[in-house]
Amino acid sequence: MNKNILNIIMIGCFVLITFGFMFVNVFKPNADFSFAERRKLLSAPQFSGTTLLNGKYFDDYEKYFLDQFIFRDNFRGFTAFTKLFLLNQQDYNDIYAVDGNICKIEYPLSEKAILNAAQKLNQVYDLYLQGLNVNYAVIPDKNYFMGPSYGAPTMDYGKLLDILQSDIRNIQYIDLFSGLSINDYYKTDIHWSQDKIIGVADILMAGIGNSILPSDFGYTIKELAPFYGSLHGQAALNLPAETLFYLTNAMLEEAVVFDYETMKKSSIYVTDLFEGIDPYDVFLSGAKALLTIENPNATTDKELILFRDSFGSSIAPLLACGYSKITLVDLRYITTDLLGNYIDFSAADDVLFLYSTQILNNSFMLR
Amino acid sequence: MLFSSISFLYYFLPAVLGIYFITPAKYKNLVLLLASLFFYFYGEPIYSLLMVFSIASAYLHGLWMDKAPTQRHKKIAFISSVSFSVGALLFFKYHLFFVNNFNSLFGTSIVPLKLLLPIGISFYTFQILSYLIDLYFGRIKVQKNPINLATYVAMFPQLIAGPIVRYSTIEAGLAHRTHSIPDIAYGINRFVIGLAKKVILANTLGEIGVLFNGADEKSVLFFWMAAIAFTLQIYFDFSGYSDMAIGLGRVFGFKFLENFNYPYISKSVTEFWRRWHISLGSWFRDYIYIPMGGNRVSLLKWGRNIFVVWFLTGFWHGAEWNFVVWGLYFAVFLVLEKFFLNKLLGKLPGAIAHFYLLPVVIIGFVIFNADGMGEALINLKGMFGLLNVPFANTETIYYLKSYGFVFILAAIAATPLFKKIAEKLKSYTFGEKTLSFSKPVIMVVLLLMCTGFLIDGSFNPFIYFRF
Repeated sequence: MNKNILNIIMIGCFVLITFGFMFVNVFKPNADFSFAERRKLLSAPQFSGTTLLNGKYFDDYEKYFLDQFIFRDNFRGFTAFTKLFLLNQQDYNDIYAVDGNICKIEYPLSEKAILNAAQKLNQVYDLYLQGLNVNYAVIPDKNYFMGPSYGAPTMDYGKLLDILQSDIRNIQYIDLFSGLSINDYYKTDIHWSQDKIIGVADILMAGIGNSILPSDFGYTIKELAPFYGSLHGQAALNLPAETLFYLTNAMLEEAVVFDYETMKKSSIYVTDLFEGIDPYDVFLSGAKALLTIENPNATTDKELILFRDSFGSSIAPLLACGYSKITLVDLRYITTDLLGNYIDFSAADDVLFLYSTQILNNSFMLR
Repeated sequence: MLFSSISFLYYFLPAVLGIYFITPAKYKNLVLLLASLFFYFYGEPIYSLLMVFSIASAYLHGLWMDKAPTQRHKKIAFISSVSFSVGALLFFKYHLFFVNNFNSLFGTSIVPLKLLLPIGISFYTFQILSYLIDLYFGRIKVQKNPINLATYVAMFPQLIAGPIVRYSTIEAGLAHRTHSIPDIAYGINRFVIGLAKKVILANTLGEIGVLFNGADEKSVLFFWMAAIAFTLQIYFDFSGYSDMAIGLGRVFGFKFLENFNYPYISKSVTEFWRRWHISLGSWFRDYIYIPMGGNRVSLLKWGRNIFVVWFLTGFWHGAEWNFVVWGLYFAVFLVLEKFFLNKLLGKLPGAIAHFYLLPVVIIGFVIFNADGMGEALINLKGMFGLLNVPFANTETIYYLKSYGFVFILAAIAATPLFKKIAEKLKSYTFGEKTLSFSKPVIMVVLLLMCTGFLIDGSFNPFIYFRF
């Protein structure tokens, strides 16, 4: 084959790729959502003279092109493969996998954020919780367990706890670090698996001073599959699916969840949401600003207020055995100042702040 | 607009290529000019006007010089033209520097204007100046067609990050050029190689700097890793951009001169600067150094010439003192080499001379990359164990493992090894056939790989955009 033909092949390949993707992308309908990345994809920006002249219009177009590029997920997978296996990088966008267990590197420790979290707890205490039995616990992220053996940098967890313990006033600390292991978490998700945390629920109840232990109750383990956790899509690696487990019994099935945003009642587990954007939303319908769980079969009339993040959604049902009512507050979605309008703090017996290290290390999102 | 962006690769470039090649020859420059103006407007809407004014000024001053009835009139036109171009550069790029330093020196509190640096102003200003200076000295003829002159200055392949193309280099091409299949294939191949250098190597190496800046605890090894990573990053970033520019130029029928020639294999600073940013070095040599007398003057004047040129070279790169120090730092080595180091280095084995050059360059880029001289000194102290940090720690070891292969790949790619292997293969029939067949395959794989990196990552700055 002569050189000219090879040159033509070279030009042809380039033209085919560049023109091909241009035409396909121009005529392809926009996708609304990336299930792999769990986020809404951008649509074309609105034109205005101001955004055109200040450069925002084309900046937004650039982001839109990236979001809507055809085969986006395949290209991300190809890039993950290139970085991890061809360039021999240890992680891909801070995510690494060991034996199918995916972990996100949470590093470095933001001392400012931890201090802010401590101040937030103090603020809530001063406003609403004086005189109550108030406790806090921290849930380690997966990198706490996997990081050291993998050699990945880990945040200084000792310093994190030191800051909290020295700056939080009047609130008792309950240690969960020693009660958890990497096996308690899903391999493809950041969260723990509900069937593995009955012991953790016991630690919390004992720490709060509630004598009713979740492990004294019987549960039926139910399964939902295939479960792809949030890290699965971010890792862009072709790892196998898992099974999502949830625990139920007669008491939990009769418990009623009330959502203050929608003013609607529902059950603890909403299995329809398993097919949605985040399958973990099965637990208490996912991210919600303010919920209550009323347990008509409780053997006590005690009430708990649980300040929590998404980890709280799966452990709250286990704590429900010891309370007639649990109020769940997610400060990412409701401001502290408004809490008094919705919650009767004088009716509460116990209060628990339960936050993961990821949220504490990014605590400026707490309102 | 960046070459290494989806908008450029998959919208702008195919559209421009399509229109350009179906347009009759006499309108091709107009197509190129309109495309270039849009290319610049996309990233710099307001300052597009500044570039248009600069081009208009160069065009009108060119005509004025050409029509000047006397040498004195011609000189006035020339001074006026250079004043306008240099004045715009000084005002938009350096006014903050001058105001801040004036305030510090005299205790005044003049409020500087809130001006952003127009992208590529240093590059297109130098191109305009080369046109005006060459015209004044009669080395070229005046360009009477405003579209051709505007195409020369604004041509998007080299508009925002060079190489600094002299008007004389493409004067003939602006009037008439041919497009051939070998040239287009060469240009595409060169473009994709440059894109891969930028997207795969430079951007990945750039991540180390981000990790370094955000690290909880640093170490001596981490300081060195960050310094070496930046040294490699800036080479692949800038030479990658030059490859893309040269490649695109070839596709459109222009032959731009080379801008890099494996600078890190140099054995002296003198050699390094013959291989690094060649178009800038030759610009300063031809338009500043030689007119000042070059080396054909007294020793004292020669020293002055060297320091003036390297002061300007540093200052051209940025309106901060660390850039000036960076330029003068190299001037010191050039003088030392001229006096005695070159003789000494000539007697040493090449490898030792090479290991003299590399630390000099790495330290130079630590000064260059710092946000002021204070940060530069801290980083240099860290590299030499003068800060209270361990030699290595968990983070450093992890990042060394994570980027070790990229370091090795980049270090090899910064040498002519791959080129020599290819040349060796070409000497065998089988090798040449394999190489010929694999070229399109490599091009496709690299292009798709770059596309994946671009879609995936948001870390995509071009370092030389700020100049």
